[in-house]
Amino acid sequence: MPQDRQARTERDHKAISDLADDLLPALIARLAASGLGEIEVREGEWKARLRKPAGADDRKVAGRGPVDGRSAHGIPPGRGPAAGTAYVAVEDRERLAREQQQARDLADAPIVATSPAVGVFAPRKDLAIGMRVRAGDRLGTVDVLGVREDVVAPVDGVVGLSLTEAGEAVEYGQELIRIELPENSRGLEVNGADREAAAVLGEA
Amino acid sequence: MFSKILIANRGEIALRILRACRTMGVGAVVAYSEADRDSLAAQLADEAICIGPADARRSYLYAPAVISAAVVTGCDAIHPGYGFLSEDAGFADVVRAHGLAFIGPSAEVLERFASKEATRRVLEAHGLRTIPGSGMLRDEAHALEEAERIGYPVLIKPSAGGGGKGMRLVKTPQELESTFKICRSEAKAGFGDDSLYMEKYLDESRHLEVQVAVDRFGNAIHMGERDCSVQRRHQKIIEETPSPALTEAARQELCSRAVRAIADAGYENLGTLEFLVDAKGDAYFIEINCRIQVEHPITEMCTGIDMVALQIKIAAGERLGMTQADVVSRGHAIEFRILAEDPGNDFRPQDGQILGYLAPGGPGVRMDTHIYPGYDVPSYYDSLLGKLSVWAPDRATAIARADAALRELLVDGITTNIDLHRAILANEVFIDGKVTTNLLDRVGSAPFVAAGNR
Repeated sequence: MPQDRQARTERDHKAISDLADDLLPALIARLAASGLGEIEVREGEWKARLRKPAGADDRKVAGRGPVDGRSAHGIPPGRGPAAGTAYVAVEDRERLAREQQQARDLADAPIVATSPAVGVFAPRKDLAIGMRVRAGDRLGTVDVLGVREDVVAPVDGVVGLSLTEAGEAVEYGQELIRIELPENSRGLEVNGADREAAAVLGEA
Repeated sequence: MFSKILIANRGEIALRILRACRTMGVGAVVAYSEADRDSLAAQLADEAICIGPADARRSYLYAPAVISAAVVTGCDAIHPGYGFLSEDAGFADVVRAHGLAFIGPSAEVLERFASKEATRRVLEAHGLRTIPGSGMLRDEAHALEEAERIGYPVLIKPSAGGGGKGMRLVKTPQELESTFKICRSEAKAGFGDDSLYMEKYLDESRHLEVQVAVDRFGNAIHMGERDCSVQRRHQKIIEETPSPALTEAARQELCSRAVRAIADAGYENLGTLEFLVDAKGDAYFIEINCRIQVEHPITEMCTGIDMVALQIKIAAGERLGMTQADVVSRGHAIEFRILAEDPGNDFRPQDGQILGYLAPGGPGVRMDTHIYPGYDVPSYYDSLLGKLSVWAPDRATAIARADAALRELLVDGITTNIDLHRAILANEVFIDGKVTTNLLDRVGSAPFVAAGNR
């Protein structure tokens, strides 16, 4: 029926647009921050898989970067969305199974906004768990001898747990606020090997 | 006394300061950059705080980060170590403005001795002989004029420099014309200040320095001298005390004149007066270092004085608690700077992981280092891995002990200059105590490197 069809198309378009807006940037950030070559998540009838082009894993190149793993949670320079190309792929089951665990581990690794300086932390007054933020949004400040430095969201997402109290002393690179995947990606389960999904950002 | 000190430095000196704090029962917080998270000082400290990224300009050299770290951790003093902010009068001033103590001379004293050229004039007025030199050089024409008056060869030096960095040896007017501008821009880039002055270059000279301490009440002592003549391109490699070049009478004369001059000039806290001593034995004052020095352990070994503790006491407003008569220097001590550099490859700095490390032992052997097996030597900072210091009742025994200790010292996974040290120790010129500052550069390091590889 044309009406149903139209409703379905609209729903699909909305889902695609949500995916593109909310899920993909977060996934790309996670892929970039991880040592993995590929990541896949599924929601309802949708499945998204991202893979870094061969040789795009610059981890080894940057091998003598920060000793601290914490600072890598943001998007490092040059590893923004352009660094990973997303495309559709059908994979063999063994590989999916192997990657399932890696992806699960990755999904567990939290994305965190870190302190830009050593000083005293103050969250933005209206900051609340569940609030949607864009990469670069100010989440609060760190007071360095009276000069405020911004704490910013490393990726688009939703404000999660605060790891530091307001007024607490923080060091450079300290984890301050968790950034969760957007609301609509909640309940996403990591790729099930039993279902070979066909498409990302396309019709199933 | 202070209740808690922020240690604003890295490497072996951060650990040295931590040890002094613990000995004194004073709390300590180690401030470190991201590249030093795994350093021994940060690991051993009861409290450590990350102040910034690996780039020193945003961590160890960034005053707001250092002071903020001290404030938020409840410290009441900052120890700057050596290098970085240790002789920065502006920093000392801001530290005080935040109600904290700077462990070193006051901002006013640092300011007064900040310019080498002005310091030479002050100490000349207080009875120290200085090397014939110029005032600040206005321009090339002025430089040529001054060089003519002083006589070639001359050294062009940045007023704000230190550690031999940015110096140029000039032998002819033609050379002077071609290097003057380069020196200016190097000084500007290296120290943020392009003022230059000129000094007569003494060909066959030794580098001696006198260690002094002055409290706020004007009590002053010297702790003898150190001979730092073993240098490569103006960088000290081996230091010893007492100097084999001085008679006891000459030593007493040099040290007492130095301490009298610096006390009269209103200096405060630990300081080192550096001299060049020419072939005739005449000592010329060249500059003062207003901080603890890398090579302080050999003075500690001979005098038994904990110099970092003394520095902290003076900064806390306490009295020296001793007079010159209480300072007794015994025996002979030699320090070797263990550097992560490859003597066989133009002394290129090395970085990478320390796979194995074994410290030497035995009577009179001391090792100051921040390395351990598994430690990653970062590429961001200087190449000093540690300092091996050896003490013995006399110089010959000290050399023998030093060689035994260098043989024991194991640093695996990274190329070091340990073998070069052994080669220098075995060299007759060193054994005879006749090394001049230009030795390594004159004969080249190659024979030593070759001998070290045997």
